[in-house]
Amino acid sequence: MVNFTVAEIRELMDRTTNVRNMSVIAHVDHGKSTLTDSLVQRAGIISSKVAGEARFTDTRQDEQDRGITIKSTAISLFAEMDPEDCKDIKQTTNGHTFLVNLIDSPGHVDFSSEVTAALRVTDGSLVVVDCVSGVCVQTETVLRQALGERIKPVVIINKVDRALLELQVSKEDLYQSFARTVESVNVIIATYYDKALGDVQVYPEKGTIAFGSGLHGWAFTVRQFAGRYAKKFGVDKTKMMERLWGDSFFNPKTKKWTKIATHEGKALERSFNMFILDPIFKIFSAIMNFKKEETTTLLEKLEITLKGEEKDLEGKPLLKVVMKKFLPAADALLEMIVLHLPSPVTAQRYRAETLYEGPIDDECGVGIRDCDPKGPLMLYVSKMVPTSDKGRFYAFGRVFSGTVRSGLKVRIQGPNYVPGKKDDLFVKAIQRTILMMGRYIEPIDDVPAGNICGLVGVDQFLLKSGTLTTLETAHNMKVMKFSVSPVVQVAVEVKNANDLPKLVEGLKRLSKSDPCVLTFISESGEHIVAGAGELHLEICLKDLEEDHAGIPLKVSPPVVSYRETVSRERKETDEPALSKSPNKHNRLYVIAEPLSEEVSRDIESGKIGPRDDFKARARILADEHGWDVTDARKIWCFGPDTTGANLLVDTTKAVQYLNEIKDSVVSGFQWATREGPLAEEPMRSIRFSLMDVTLHADAIHRGGGQIIPTARRVLYAATLRAEPQLLEPVYLVEIQVPEQAMGGIYGVLTRRRGHVFSEEQRPGTPLFNVKAYLPVNESFGFTADLRSNTGGQAFPQSVFDHWQILPGGSPMDVTTKPGQVVQDMRKRKGIKLGAPDVNEYYDKL
Amino acid sequence: MLYFIGLGLSNEKDITVAGLEIVKNASRVYLEAYTSILMIETEKLEEFYGRPVIVADREMVESSADEILAGSDTSDIAFLVVGDPYGATTHTDLLLRARELGIPTRNIHNASIMNAIGACGLQLYNFGQTVSMVFFLDNWKPSSYYDRIKENREIGLHTLVLLDIKVKEQSLENMARGRKIYEPPRYMTVAQCCQQMLETEEERGEKVYTPKSLAVGVSRLGSEDQKIVAGTLEQLAEADLGKPLHSVVLLGKRVHELEIDFIREFAIDKDIFNAAYEAEYGEHST
Repeated sequence: MVNFTVAEIRELMDRTTNVRNMSVIAHVDHGKSTLTDSLVQRAGIISSKVAGEARFTDTRQDEQDRGITIKSTAISLFAEMDPEDCKDIKQTTNGHTFLVNLIDSPGHVDFSSEVTAALRVTDGSLVVVDCVSGVCVQTETVLRQALGERIKPVVIINKVDRALLELQVSKEDLYQSFARTVESVNVIIATYYDKALGDVQVYPEKGTIAFGSGLHGWAFTVRQFAGRYAKKFGVDKTKMMERLWGDSFFNPKTKKWTKIATHEGKALERSFNMFILDPIFKIFSAIMNFKKEETTTLLEKLEITLKGEEKDLEGKPLLKVVMKKFLPAADALLEMIVLHLPSPVTAQRYRAETLYEGPIDDECGVGIRDCDPKGPLMLYVSKMVPTSDKGRFYAFGRVFSGTVRSGLKVRIQGPNYVPGKKDDLFVKAIQRTILMMGRYIEPIDDVPAGNICGLVGVDQFLLKSGTLTTLETAHNMKVMKFSVSPVVQVAVEVKNANDLPKLVEGLKRLSKSDPCVLTFISESGEHIVAGAGELHLEICLKDLEEDHAGIPLKVSPPVVSYRETVSRERKETDEPALSKSPNKHNRLYVIAEPLSEEVSRDIESGKIGPRDDFKARARILADEHGWDVTDARKIWCFGPDTTGANLLVDTTKAVQYLNEIKDSVVSGFQWATREGPLAEEPMRSIRFSLMDVTLHADAIHRGGGQIIPTARRVLYAATLRAEPQLLEPVYLVEIQVPEQAMGGIYGVLTRRRGHVFSEEQRPGTPLFNVKAYLPVNESFGFTADLRSNTGGQAFPQSVFDHWQILPGGSPMDVTTKPGQVVQDMRKRKGIKLGAPDVNEYYDKL
Repeated sequence: MLYFIGLGLSNEKDITVAGLEIVKNASRVYLEAYTSILMIETEKLEEFYGRPVIVADREMVESSADEILAGSDTSDIAFLVVGDPYGATTHTDLLLRARELGIPTRNIHNASIMNAIGACGLQLYNFGQTVSMVFFLDNWKPSSYYDRIKENREIGLHTLVLLDIKVKEQSLENMARGRKIYEPPRYMTVAQCCQQMLETEEERGEKVYTPKSLAVGVSRLGSEDQKIVAGTLEQLAEADLGKPLHSVVLLGKRVHELEIDFIREFAIDKDIFNAAYEAEYGEHST
């Protein structure tokens, strides 16, 4: 631990080129928090009182108990580099001391919205991969998210001790296993290649991959060993690095480096194995086999001295001490972070365009691009962190331009703010700016561009996230896109009726404290909490019960949220649906048809969005999705919530006054797509074409009161005429299981309508990686079921993957399964039972 | 038989004798109460007619027409409309439905703003298309009426502007939630109408009229305290004509001298009135 005053940290913040904002991301249980601990113990700034405490960044009791991270936590580290090493940094630096702001994020998929929020405020990421389980589903998800935000990765292959101690692999096997993992990471990185970010694949020989064990506190990079050997062999370090990885061999007889694996018929040892793995293997075998003498000579050779009682240790504890001294994890990681991750100055140059909604050459755009502490303030609040003061939150975010300080009057722009309008906008002074360090906070006067900070006093004006600026013309920073959606929901009610106001207040706080959770009141008056998965919900409800509301609750069994869509492709001969306004003077004609899955996904991932330039958007739709360009240019809106994956396209010809009813039709569309005709579930993946409109000549007879309900009715009529279907959410489940327990998996999956689509053995292990699709609706209790059927040997990870049509027939027919689901939902929501009738919405001519 | 009966403009006594007889004998009497209003309470009507009256709001007329029509093939149903039954186009739908069901209908006419506006001194012969003015919203300012006025002005005709009333309207949010909560009633004033007209002119900039164009504002036409004022649009945009209902007439260029002499009496300020008249309409008057 480094003891720093706030003033000293503040001084570091000013040297923006020496700041590194990074997040630690990985699949669950790959060892992020443990690894982070080794960094904190060595280089963590402030609060020496807590030094050595395990899982420093897991600040919550339940995180410690469950052994998983739930909320992301930020800490600052101080790194002092060897001036020699600084020469290898390929970006501008200033001195050889560095400030590393690290965010430890959760690995469990249910909390990946926390990861998204963490990624937004960082520029680089440390991807942790378990050396035994390899690249898992969540590794891919977080890596994809990171690359989408233009965040540069470095990798550590963790838990190497397991491979050595438990699996007893040979050197060459270990090398091969490393190589495979590196390759699979690079395959993912290559898939999401982004020109602006350049090639960010990771290579051991370039020092962008480390190997180690978070638990034992050691790690190394090829670069470090190259440094040691470069002197010995008298070669250049860079050259040495290349020689120490891949098909490179050293012939001890000829003392020559070669690319060929054999010499005079004899196999040569790979240089990585010979120079890097060999000493490690020797230490392991000497200590674990209790060969005292061998150990002593080895330690002498490696110049490791043991102190006092350490000398009496043996076996694993001794191994830990020795390895920690031989290859301290913090050194390897800090070297990698400082050398290869970009500073805010470097990163904001290429990230600016993906961060800012406005034109990149306006004052704010330039401020962000140049990371200018003197520019207009642009600060993005990515999440809210509960304070000890109940019901209040710190706004956690990053300054991208300008300098934020206590007392500064800022414009607080929520996600729905539109420049020039007054919606979702507050002008308020910031009460205090603070530094956030794990579970401690420290007040600080001001924070310049490129740094991460907390703010007091803006929580009342922002729901979950938003932009803070000082410039009146500033656009918003781009809203974060989450990879998970709240598909599982429960209804909560109070046990004592008197507690109701507390529940309402508690729900508000819950919604603020979690980036992903949704809370709302259903039509039938129930309080609904929706989360990404079972575990996420469980944590949210626990927080609600114990913290936010602080009252006993009754919770309904979880239900899945569905989407309503249509399945009938449009035909030439289709007659549009017609609805008349209440006064019968206005008529709307609409046809509904399925939107292709690719377009829906592009909309959901933000590739196509309502705020795009309409010409550019039309180009994408025409070139990549085969749309008619004229149609593509006439998209009126997206919905629900103006961003969803349903489109309203104007295909009318020369209708007078159409622009005067556009707003009303759009409102009707938002309303209809939010609550579909089957069971008031949101619609998804429907394209509505407005075919024709007849209007009353006088505006008084075609106001919102006439048009909005009519638009909604005609969209319902069109939906019901195009073979409506229910979409159910489907998880991608990844299960790690030993071969002998495989049978149990298939049984459980089949019973739950799941199916396996990939089954791979992890080379060198008896473990199988099984991937399957499982409807979310069938996933409740899946983990427990699976464990009991495999003797506790299978570990599933579920992540929302896609929507699929609920099989079993038409939802319009109450005797089918989808029909029954519709009836159940209608009953729950208090809607009239029975099949929805198209004639309710469809008017005859 | 379904009777459409006009009630006239002001109070319970404006109904015609023919209409009153039908009302007294009909099996059900509906009062349409959203396209216009009388200046008295429903109770007063009931007292005068000596029978109960069912108030039919927009929802009832538009969504439950069958209820209104029920039984009208065998007995007499009276549908009372403020002004003249056909003053507003709104009721053609009810008539069409009755016709579809083979129900015979009859109309009892009465005075309407469409003819009573003659009281302001402008001759009915010189009126062009009637337009109506809705309450503008931040993002909804329909200006199609402007094109109508333009057409009227091009051939020198007056334009009668009917003003929006909002009785029992739901807010957007309540409509989306299906809650039957209604906003308090609102009636547009002459001042508000003129402000909106000037706003549209500023936006469209086609010089159809100017702040100096002459117009007449009337309120509570046909009642004892009716009020008529004449002046330029910018003057009327500041005028207070008291309680509802209000209407506006924008003068056309073909205005007759007699008409001018008549409305000059209502001028807010005679000098401004004369100056405005000379500037814009002078050369056309014969």
